[in-house]
Amino acid sequence: MTIDCKDLDNLLLEGDPFSMQRAAEHAAQCPACMQTLTDWNEISGTASDMKTTWQSDMLWPRIERSIKQERTRSAANVWQIAAAILIVVGLGAFAWLAHRRAERNEFDQSILRVAAVDEVERAEKAHVVAIERLEQLTDPKLENAATPLMVSYKEKLMMLDDAIAECQSNIQYNRQNAHLRKQLLAMYSEKQRTLQDVVREGNHAN
Amino acid sequence: MPGATVGIPTLMNPAIRTAQHRSDDDVRVARACAAGESDAFEEIYQHHGDRMKSIAYNHLGNISDAEDAVQETFLKIHRAASSYNAEAAFTTWIYRILINTCYDLLRKRKRRGDESPIDGVFELTRAAASVDDAKRITLRKLLNDLPEQRRSVFVLFEIEGLSHAEIGEILDISEGNSKWILFATKKQLQEKWRDNSPVMK
Repeated sequence: MTIDCKDLDNLLLEGDPFSMQRAAEHAAQCPACMQTLTDWNEISGTASDMKTTWQSDMLWPRIERSIKQERTRSAANVWQIAAAILIVVGLGAFAWLAHRRAERNEFDQSILRVAAVDEVERAEKAHVVAIERLEQLTDPKLENAATPLMVSYKEKLMMLDDAIAECQSNIQYNRQNAHLRKQLLAMYSEKQRTLQDVVREGNHAN
Repeated sequence: MPGATVGIPTLMNPAIRTAQHRSDDDVRVARACAAGESDAFEEIYQHHGDRMKSIAYNHLGNISDAEDAVQETFLKIHRAASSYNAEAAFTTWIYRILINTCYDLLRKRKRRGDESPIDGVFELTRAAASVDDAKRITLRKLLNDLPEQRRSVFVLFEIEGLSHAEIGEILDISEGNSKWILFATKKQLQEKWRDNSPVMK
């Protein structure tokens, strides 16, 4: 089979001894391809002589030392990582305990609030009982109010009852409102005092 | 040194051991490297050190950078040996790391805007007055201008004498691709060769 110039690249691409021999045979009769082949072989010939070696007595000790340092460093890194994990876990545990303690305090405080409300309600009940007892005594006198003083006591008591009813309805929406509780207690006290005055006034009249 | 057959398997004597045997050996060497056993590294250095230096030198162009690349390659082997899975031969894996290390250094150099320093001193010690040495200097300069992969294929095939199959494994390309890249690279070199060749001048 004859080779022409356009086949030269394919032979060079293959690059095996047989292809190169065929390329050389063609180049022997074609000056242009001969030039190409000469350059081609010259590059390969020059390259094959470029394998480079040199004595480097210090390279292996350098490598050995750097590997040892790397090992030491990675061991230190392991400790650093362990320490970091420990610190993170410690901080996490501390934060969790602090959160738990805060929650418990909040719970305790809410218990105290409930206890305080119970105490106030007990005081209110005591007032109500005392008032009911006094009302049993004053009701007949107030119904037949004979003097202007009795009429004014009656009006005052009616106003206090209205105010107490309004305050109680407000307290239903917020049992822990200390201000309303104080107001209610003050009104109960005032009503109790007024009823006692009515009793005292009735006794004087008799 | 390169191509020695003692101890760990080498790239140039694949027929000496069976694939399974070689794979077992490779895994054993990799484990020793992962454990940081100095003997394993020394054995690799004894068998492959010269070739590693030569490959690095022909990529980087000077002894100092070449030795740095070889040292860095050993550190990378130590760091990554535990992840070696014997998919490729251990030696192939080592050369792949070496070449990637050379690329890293070249890119670092490029980012810094450094010129690729060709080791003139080394060439001069070899009586650069001769035509052959002048040709080598010319070719080395031309290699410096090649893209990374082309330079690697040329260096591994033409200078180190590796086969296209071995180059394919190292560079993770097909054998045919390696052959094609070599052809294209030599064509590219050939165009500049005539203008730069001391003989032509």
